[in-house]
Amino acid sequence: MRTYKTDFRDFKDFIQMKNIYGLIIVMVAAVASGCTDLEEGIYGQQVADEFYASDIGVNAALASVYNEVRGDWNGKGIAGADRGWYDLNETCTDEMMFPTRSDGAWDDNGIWRAMYTHTWTGSQEFIGNTWNWLYRSIYKTNLSVELLEGAGADPAQIAEARVLRAYFYYMLMDGWGSVPFYTGTDVVIEELPQLSRAEIFDFVVNELETNVDLLPETKGGSFYGRFNKWAGYALLAKINLNAEVYTGSPRWSQAITACDAIINNGGFSLVSDLYDNAGSQAIFGDEMPNQEVILSVFVDANDAPRNIIGIRTLHGPHGNALFGFSTWNGATVHQDFINRYSDDDKRKAQWLLGSQPGGVNYTLNISSLTSAGIEEGARSAKFLPVPPYSGESASNDFPVFRYADVLLTKAEAILRNGGDEAAARALVDEVRNRAGLDNYNGAMTLNEVYNERGRELCWEGHRRQDMIRYGTFTAARSFKGASSDIYKLFPIPSDAIANNDRLVQNPGY
Amino acid sequence: MKADNYNLRTKQTGSGWFRLLTMLGLLCATFIVNAQERTVSGTVSDGETNETLPGVTVLVKGTSRGTITDMDGSYKISVADGEVLTFSFVGYENKDITVGNESVVNVGLRLSISELQEIVVVGYGTQEKGDLTGSVASISSKDFNQGPVVSPLQQISGKAAGVNINQVGSEPGQAPSIRVRGITSLIGGNDPLVVVDGIQGNLALLNQIPPSEIKSVEILKDASATAIYGSRGAAGVILITTKSGQAGQTQIEYSAVLSREIIANEYDMLTADEWRTAAAQRGVAESADYGGNTDWFDAITRVGSTQTHNLAFSGGNESFTYRASATAILQEGIINNSNSENYIARFQGTQKLSDKLTSTINLNISSLDRDYNNGGRIAEAITRRPTDPIYTDNPLFTDVGSYFIDPNSFSYINPVARTEEIIDGDLTNNIFTSLRLEYEIFDGLTATAFGSWRKTNREYQSYVSPRTTREDARNLGETESVNDINQLPDGIATVANDVSDEKLYNLILNYKKDFGDHSIDVLGVNEWQKQVYNGGSSTVRGFIVDDPSNIYAMQSADATLYRQGDISSYKNDRTLASFLGRVNYSYMGKYYASASIRRDGSSVFGANNKWANFYAGSLAWRISDEGFMDAVDVIDNLKLRVGYGETGNQQGLGALNSVRLANNDGTTYFGGTVIPNYSITQNENADLRWEVKKMFNAGLDFGFIKGKLTGAIDAFTGVTSDLLFDYEVPQPPYPFGTIKANVGEVLNQGLELSLNYITVDQGDWYVTLGGNVSMNRTEVQELNGSLNGVPLETDYVVWGSGGTTGVASTNNAISHLIIGQPLGSFYLFKHAGVDSNGNQIIDDLDGDGSVEDGNRENDDRYLAGQALPKVTWAFTPTASYKNFDLSVLVRGAHGHQIYNARRATLSALGTLGQSNVLNSALETGVNNITYASDLWLEKGDYVRLENITLGYNFNTTSWSFVESLRLSFTANNLFVITEYTGIDPEISTSGGSGFGIDYGIYPRTRNFAVGLNATF
Repeated sequence: MRTYKTDFRDFKDFIQMKNIYGLIIVMVAAVASGCTDLEEGIYGQQVADEFYASDIGVNAALASVYNEVRGDWNGKGIAGADRGWYDLNETCTDEMMFPTRSDGAWDDNGIWRAMYTHTWTGSQEFIGNTWNWLYRSIYKTNLSVELLEGAGADPAQIAEARVLRAYFYYMLMDGWGSVPFYTGTDVVIEELPQLSRAEIFDFVVNELETNVDLLPETKGGSFYGRFNKWAGYALLAKINLNAEVYTGSPRWSQAITACDAIINNGGFSLVSDLYDNAGSQAIFGDEMPNQEVILSVFVDANDAPRNIIGIRTLHGPHGNALFGFSTWNGATVHQDFINRYSDDDKRKAQWLLGSQPGGVNYTLNISSLTSAGIEEGARSAKFLPVPPYSGESASNDFPVFRYADVLLTKAEAILRNGGDEAAARALVDEVRNRAGLDNYNGAMTLNEVYNERGRELCWEGHRRQDMIRYGTFTAARSFKGASSDIYKLFPIPSDAIANNDRLVQNPGY
Repeated sequence: MKADNYNLRTKQTGSGWFRLLTMLGLLCATFIVNAQERTVSGTVSDGETNETLPGVTVLVKGTSRGTITDMDGSYKISVADGEVLTFSFVGYENKDITVGNESVVNVGLRLSISELQEIVVVGYGTQEKGDLTGSVASISSKDFNQGPVVSPLQQISGKAAGVNINQVGSEPGQAPSIRVRGITSLIGGNDPLVVVDGIQGNLALLNQIPPSEIKSVEILKDASATAIYGSRGAAGVILITTKSGQAGQTQIEYSAVLSREIIANEYDMLTADEWRTAAAQRGVAESADYGGNTDWFDAITRVGSTQTHNLAFSGGNESFTYRASATAILQEGIINNSNSENYIARFQGTQKLSDKLTSTINLNISSLDRDYNNGGRIAEAITRRPTDPIYTDNPLFTDVGSYFIDPNSFSYINPVARTEEIIDGDLTNNIFTSLRLEYEIFDGLTATAFGSWRKTNREYQSYVSPRTTREDARNLGETESVNDINQLPDGIATVANDVSDEKLYNLILNYKKDFGDHSIDVLGVNEWQKQVYNGGSSTVRGFIVDDPSNIYAMQSADATLYRQGDISSYKNDRTLASFLGRVNYSYMGKYYASASIRRDGSSVFGANNKWANFYAGSLAWRISDEGFMDAVDVIDNLKLRVGYGETGNQQGLGALNSVRLANNDGTTYFGGTVIPNYSITQNENADLRWEVKKMFNAGLDFGFIKGKLTGAIDAFTGVTSDLLFDYEVPQPPYPFGTIKANVGEVLNQGLELSLNYITVDQGDWYVTLGGNVSMNRTEVQELNGSLNGVPLETDYVVWGSGGTTGVASTNNAISHLIIGQPLGSFYLFKHAGVDSNGNQIIDDLDGDGSVEDGNRENDDRYLAGQALPKVTWAFTPTASYKNFDLSVLVRGAHGHQIYNARRATLSALGTLGQSNVLNSALETGVNNITYASDLWLEKGDYVRLENITLGYNFNTTSWSFVESLRLSFTANNLFVITEYTGIDPEISTSGGSGFGIDYGIYPRTRNFAVGLNATF
């Protein structure tokens, strides 16, 4: 204690000397000089400008675009998740419906019914989600193109990014027609032009024709789920097949040329069985066969992205019995669609009817759009969940372009171009035979191709486009009256217009 | 030692004869009086602190007989029946007591210090209350609300005008929210800055100090007072001063409150029988009835309790004083398995190192342990069908034990299983310490160096057993039906950790001096703060053994079930540097002027705006001291104050908010494998800066009728500009859909009145009537603007939507931000009835034949009301009689609406097959809730008897070890008068998105508590 006191006195003596002034001045100086550094610490975050200037960043920019094509919450992705591009393009057609059930399920404020009956508006959630997703994706591809070109990257990689961008613009043009257009990353909104549908069409076709042949021919492996040359041609075939809808001028021969590039040089063929008799996912499972699927979307439930197509269709106890979790009892199909299958069509087995595990019994007829019985309507086994899965997602991949589609596209283009009916019929028969059906009896008609497309490609996101091309989209169907032609285009989302009043809305909305 | 009686007359006059005669007379008188007199004894103490008072003069009125109290405050005096004893002591008011036949007379004296001389803490200093030029509310511990107090804010609820303390539900450990003068920011944050003995922090800092150790709370309300806190002053500042030791008074204090809590109000849902009847009428499939009869709400709730204990030691000598305390606040919530335990230890010591140098150390350690089961459990319980059993004898699956689950429902949750089986809680350890060195350089000039350090460590643990029936915790492997032999992996364990480290250093130079009639007080401060936050979270899935202790064996989980985002960590920091100064000047104690300036630099501001300046000035005039007021006897005090100030708000800005970031954003599949994905996650805004609030305040302090009626009235108007908001930007060209920017403006105006009237002050009775009223108006003035050439047209912004069906439909938008309207305006569809199919009919207000969808400006919606109360008030009468005292707090809020989204959800008859509904739903008759309509909008007005406390102070004179002892009984929330049909009308008025919408809350309790305070 004594020592302490002595020390204490020393200190007291010290501070009683006028040294305290010096001390204070030193303290003020120390604080004043040290305290004006206002730099923010950056921990584990990447400032965009620096990140994208690096080699890793250039690659990450292209890889990041593919993140956008996988399904996730909030309508992101091509397919698999809800309330985005897939639902927008499926629920307005005759091959998918979500009737409100008698227990009130799937009422959801009428959002599904509005899609089925063509009474949607600019504030429809799917429309806004899809729009935002596509423009976010375009920004990412623009960034990727800029960075790759700036870095002098492999032309194949630059081409891949440009084709991806063309694909996003194609979906915008297909859904909305005239849309804002930009290819950079630094655009002033006043200078952002809204191009006509034909102008966007020209851009997409030009980009594809310029870049498709630069793409690698590699199938699968490091190119699984990526745009290779064949996927590029499949996209070119599709846009040419629908050119008349987009611009008023058909491009049948160009469609045939694009299909031929795949058929003659791609080495694709149909797998032997699309479905087995029990009605299972077959090729629509965890990994799609490169033999038939030209472009697929990789999905893995453990990895956040979602495929809920299978989960959303089965009734709860059915899912519980098969997988141990309740399924959603949502998507089904109207009986008129099922009745277009002949009984010996193996593909009919994808539609589950009658007694099922879990004590469930699906009945064919749907009695009401607003209060359907709980177990009414056939369910699809096309994307029957494959593990890993949970009550929120399964891991089925999704086919964007498939060889069967290419065959039917070519058949249709031949017929529409006044070409060789027998050649067209042979193409359709190739698809029919795989489904266990004999060759088509009689002359192949456009209507037959249309129905064949429905049977083969149902729930794969093509139906809206097909119905518009065949003029059946706005026609009256069960629970739906004839709708105006304005519904062949979606309205520009009201939020987008609110944010940019220079946008011109599509007619009728 | 007792003082002897002595003759107070010290100066005697007259001749010796006269003196002799007088003495004889006195002797005779004593003899005569002795025949009727008896001895009365007692203790004199401070009426508020119960501290005994030595040296108090006790005089028999009208005589010269008297005594003074001894060291223990005790006295003994001879007195006759009917005589009056006068007790007097410097600094206290005299008190007269007529002696009846009692032999013990204990007296509590009231401080007579003028209220105006009370020392009030203001930013970086103190002032006498009478010298204030700004609007400052000061509440000392004697005025605190009593009872089961778990948060310091509960103690001051209703005690200050313009300070709204809002308790939503009674979840353990859940502190109320506080808003000073309403809402002035949208996402910028409306929480006031908290300063505890100079240590600055957020509202969480309040939970880390024991309520019973607080000496006083000051709330800086207007901008002229808060501008000294610059870019953090806009939302008001709460200054807390804790108790400290007194030289020469060694004391041990113990206080405890024990409370039982019951649910004040619950939803009237269908019983099993009622549900069956309704289900049969509505054609619900019979398979939905599982034959049970369950009161789910009852099954997950219980009687709650709160205990608080506080033990404090204090004392010291001339050169060293200290106070040490230990506090426990223990709560058991009314939902099973919702608990909170808060332990706090404090030490405060002050050492005079020399005549000129004083050091003060503060050390505060706390540990808050919480188990969560929040209001969401109530929602799950009341929506469960009453016909579902809790348990089943024939389980379908092994992993949920005997808990019932319905295989036909999507993600069915058994609420009892969920509340019983979940492990979900956190432990927050907090330590803060400060050291203050104060040196008097010369007379009037003091230099203070102050440093504080606060470290918080929150450890979160959860284990979601498959037995909770939560879908995502089950079925991680494959089906587990009862027939399966092998146990497959299940369960989710999460451990998270958040660490914060906040350092503050400031150097204060203060010169205080009176020159004749002039007084000046000059302050200069340099302040530096650095805050670092980091933490991480890990989740693993799939354990073979279902055991809560899996939390401690996370390595045994199934690694193949890893999902993106299961492991994360972060770190960010914030630096704030400031220079500030203030001059207070007064002349003759009549005229006052004050001016302040603060320059703040913050790391979170955008590169183009790193430094901000804030100014304030105020004037006051004590009219009552003017000569011309001398004739007006009734007015004791009248002071006019006016002030203007600019303050800022930077709560809404986080680290790196202003730069374009490219961050890890999930994964992507590329090159044949899943790799981390990077994308732009934030737009750039180099101009990002603080919000600016400019406020003008005028006030009048008054005291009438010899201080019997005192009060203050204040009027203010303020505009927050550069309003922060995550403005929606067009996605072409922006890579991200929103940008944080300073664009809009919000107006905030109000009027505040507080009054206190001493109604009765006679003999044993002392009755006061007090209270306050605040009126507030908040209006969105502007949300549109332009940002780098991009027009931001942000009007009719949804500020809270339905959530009634879980569907994000634009029809569900409820509360909005609309230019020219109050913040949080209910912009709704108009209910026009229900059709035969149970569909709601909406009034086609624009008569165009269709009801327009959507939330933006829409001709079929109308402005139906506002979420913020227009008027709030509190009535706080007190009374004391002899040893009894009574205090009451009644609070009310008026002029606002509540959107009862909970009632909407519980009224959807279409869901009857899957859930329970309200009894009233049958009458309402709506099948599905398809529109946010005024059918669910209700008046939010209420009057609540929040607190009533009756106390008794024991006479402890003859008790050897006890200096004072008080017993009290408190009832909280005895009644609520309201037309609102939800379980409680006090729902969030915080100003954030969705405020004013009742989505369902943790039930509000009614408490009955016994309290004990003792000093030794």
